[in-house]
Amino acid sequence: MTDKLRALGVAFLNARPLWESLKDDARVDLDLARPSALARALAENEADVGLLPVAAAATIGDLRLLRNMAIGARGKVRSVSIVSERPLHELESIALDLSSRTSVVLARLLLARRKLTPHLFATEPAQAIAGVKDRTGALVIGDAALDVETRFPYRLDLAEDWFEWTGLPFVFAAWFARAGAIDAEQEDILRVAKQKGLSRVDAIAKEHGARSGLDESSLRAYLTESIRYDLGDEELRGLERFWAEAAQAGLLPRATARFEQPSSTSGSSSASTSSSPSRPSLDTLLSRAADGERLSAADGERLLREGSFFELGLAADAVRRRKHPKGVVTYIVDRNVNYTNVCTTSCRFCAFYRPVGHPEGYVLTREVLGQKLQEVVDAGGVQILLQGGLNPDLPIGWYEDLFRWIKKEYRLGLHALSPEEILHLARLEDLSVRQVLEKLHAAGLDSVPGGGAEILVDRVRRKIAKAKCTSEEWLGVMRVAHHMGLRSSATMMYGTVDTLEDRIQHLVKIRDLQDETGGFTAFFCWDYQFEKGTHLAPGENGTHLYLRTQAVARLMLDNVDHVGASWVTQGPAVGQVALRFGADDFGSVMFEENVVSSAGTTFGINADKIEGRIRQAGFKAVRRNVRYEWLNEPG
Amino acid sequence: MSESSKLASIREKVRNGERLTSEDGIALFLEPDLLAIGQLANEVCEKRHGDRTYFNRNMRIEVTNVCVASCLFCSFAKLEEHMPGAHTMKLEEAWRELEMRMNDPGGPPTEIHIVNGLHPGLPFSYYEELLRGFKRIDPNVHLKCFTAVEIHFFAQHYGMTYVEVLEKLRAAGLESLPGGGAEIFDEGVRSKISHDKATAAEYLEVHRVAHRMGMRTNATMLYGHIETFAHRVDHLLRLRALQDETKGLQAFIPLAFHPDGNGMKNLPAPTAVDDLRTLAVSRLLLDNVDHIKAYWVSLTPDVAQIALRMGADDIDGTIVHETIYKAAGTRSPGALGYDELVRLIREAGRIPVERDTLYNVVRELPRAAVPEAALKPRDRERARPRALPVVQGDVRVKEVPS
Repeated sequence: MTDKLRALGVAFLNARPLWESLKDDARVDLDLARPSALARALAENEADVGLLPVAAAATIGDLRLLRNMAIGARGKVRSVSIVSERPLHELESIALDLSSRTSVVLARLLLARRKLTPHLFATEPAQAIAGVKDRTGALVIGDAALDVETRFPYRLDLAEDWFEWTGLPFVFAAWFARAGAIDAEQEDILRVAKQKGLSRVDAIAKEHGARSGLDESSLRAYLTESIRYDLGDEELRGLERFWAEAAQAGLLPRATARFEQPSSTSGSSSASTSSSPSRPSLDTLLSRAADGERLSAADGERLLREGSFFELGLAADAVRRRKHPKGVVTYIVDRNVNYTNVCTTSCRFCAFYRPVGHPEGYVLTREVLGQKLQEVVDAGGVQILLQGGLNPDLPIGWYEDLFRWIKKEYRLGLHALSPEEILHLARLEDLSVRQVLEKLHAAGLDSVPGGGAEILVDRVRRKIAKAKCTSEEWLGVMRVAHHMGLRSSATMMYGTVDTLEDRIQHLVKIRDLQDETGGFTAFFCWDYQFEKGTHLAPGENGTHLYLRTQAVARLMLDNVDHVGASWVTQGPAVGQVALRFGADDFGSVMFEENVVSSAGTTFGINADKIEGRIRQAGFKAVRRNVRYEWLNEPG
Repeated sequence: MSESSKLASIREKVRNGERLTSEDGIALFLEPDLLAIGQLANEVCEKRHGDRTYFNRNMRIEVTNVCVASCLFCSFAKLEEHMPGAHTMKLEEAWRELEMRMNDPGGPPTEIHIVNGLHPGLPFSYYEELLRGFKRIDPNVHLKCFTAVEIHFFAQHYGMTYVEVLEKLRAAGLESLPGGGAEIFDEGVRSKISHDKATAAEYLEVHRVAHRMGMRTNATMLYGHIETFAHRVDHLLRLRALQDETKGLQAFIPLAFHPDGNGMKNLPAPTAVDDLRTLAVSRLLLDNVDHIKAYWVSLTPDVAQIALRMGADDIDGTIVHETIYKAAGTRSPGALGYDELVRLIREAGRIPVERDTLYNVVRELPRAAVPEAALKPRDRERARPRALPVVQGDVRVKEVPS
């Protein structure tokens, strides 16, 4: 290989010995990133190799381990602990530092083993420690953990507890490479870097001590005695045991250690147990997915690429049946109101928006809105879906007044403002996302629609909607909203410049956030609706792709309760068939919808017709609200 | 995966090549698991046709919508010539339709499909001349004209036997019969929805006679109105019995009832799940009929495309000018381009095979919808539609190996 090796390290102290000398190596492009960003970059092929937490490696799937380099501990690790004022079994809740998914999964396994079920919730590390009191504990990681090592009376060292349980070391992170991305020579560069780094441990401890204020000799002991940088047979067994336990608990996709290079080149690790296990057959993957096992991104890609129409449909149908065994399909009577079409983002796939100052730009008046809302009330509707363009002339006060008025006059549920609009208001008013959401929530906002997600891969977003928020921003708004107790839907629009891998990556990001917050109620997807007025050529689309994509989404999103059929874009006929490809919701009765219909897709359908289609597909029909609670008896 | 033992025993039978009973057919219609039935139908279909899906370049002409019959489900026919919307083409007008298509970029259509009202005021020579005119314009075009109901009407109206009618029309150029007019064979249903045209026995007899004369025909079933699943199964089994006897049916086409503008407009149209189930069950019951057609005009292209994985091996053709379903409110477009049909088929993971009316292969296209620029030069040659081989008389073009 003549190209530079694109390597990603993490800035954590314990990782430093592995990457430090690579900074000055001309053969390597080294970047440092947070663990979650590192996982994303490796998944999206922006890096060849990364010092990846082992939970993230299982989620991505199909990565190759490099031999004999890892960050682990045999017994006490000191830097990953649950701290508390009371004994573990008396805790009612534990704050989680979500920066280390691996530690969170390990904590869940160790708690489950003790049959303890405290409430787990996410906070910032500083808040977590400040919140440790009485029956609330905290999972603390890294410097924060070392810092409070002796502060609390009770402390569970997770690696130590793991060792007591399994008799095996625990591996937190290791070098993982994309398949085929690294050759033996490059692997040696990393191995030499490790040797150099380990010879500099004293200096590293000293530097870090000076910067962090932690005791230097304690840090040196941490790096030399607690952390183990080897990945020998015993560590591998520990790693595979962890993956197996986590998969069995449904916390991670099944994973096995696979190596790129034959072990003879390194000589240091035999790893004869698992050097190249054969891939599971497609059938095996499908039946695992149908049984509720978590799929890795690599698994999802394979299913979307190779799974047959029927196999995917039947597996998704089995998941639907397991999650919703009563054979009921829900729908909602609501109305999509687009309060303004004035928008500054100029998305290339949109035929609805008008730029500021355009003669066809509008903002709905109270009079027009009132008429529309009254029609919803008259039709027995329970909510409105309120979305619009990013109109710089509408301050947040306009929305607050509007929401209060709607709540007072019509008592409808407010499913309003996608993340893009929330971010727009934050920028316009110079407020944080949390402040905007708090104001809107106080004014009556009930839930946040998942529109504007498109594909949550920034390479794609830059091409189709340059001015729109990044994936992280979109997910960030949802994270804040969920933490405030608001619920939201999640969507995916594929079929522009996105690849199959991008679609899977999108689903994994939704699933990751859902692990964290549990705030997504449902997932909907559709293909890009190409028509007059859009400025983007269509990519892959069509009915078969839609049904396959929805089925794979049902299989990947094991932690999202509902999948809805997007009959508005696919037509009621395909929407009905989609109920056999994993969907358990038929979306909403449509009064109007302007965005997709400006691109030429229009289907009208009333509640009777929806119910008729649901029944003909072999289900009972029931109306729901935005939280998917049933509003009547299924029939 | 749990499933009914009934379905399991049907699957067993199908895999062993055993014939399904009427009771099996009804159980299949009642089985809620659409995918399980679709998958079984797909197995049978792939056993016969592999990954191939057939289509053709055809055109439809309806020369008159004046009709003495008063079928409840029909939005097309007008009782008398002077009524608003009634129209009978002058012969030149009908011929012109073909003339306009002779220079189509992909070549002229290979088939003309004609279905009409039962017009009481036209001389028989009108029909003979109509066919002769088309053959004058293009001797190669296949004439698939007049349903059994029309043939029966001609026999009554002009005082001839079925054989005489068919002989005369064959002399004028007729080569096969379309399958329309079957509706539902059950006498009770038929007396309610189309009491004043050919009976079920007469419909079947016309096909029998045509088959004995060496003509191939298609058959249809109009479902989704007042009939029960038992009526559908009865219908399919009567066709299966005829086919056992004559082997003359080429294709079966289930036709979905569309309610707009007709005497049953208060009924809902069948939904996609019913459409797909009916197609799949047809494939399973009609074990002696080669081709099951997902007629996209009736189903919409989207549903027809799904049907290609649920038992159908044919998606009909480019059509161009359809007025019967249009009058009944179909959402389908009036025509699909050649490329559009090919795209639909490929996207369903099938190999598009252009056929003529008698299912001779005109050309087989590559499976993958690879952009032409991305192909190697040799593959590009293969991907480009070949010069159209002439299909004439008994000279049949050999199938292109895949």
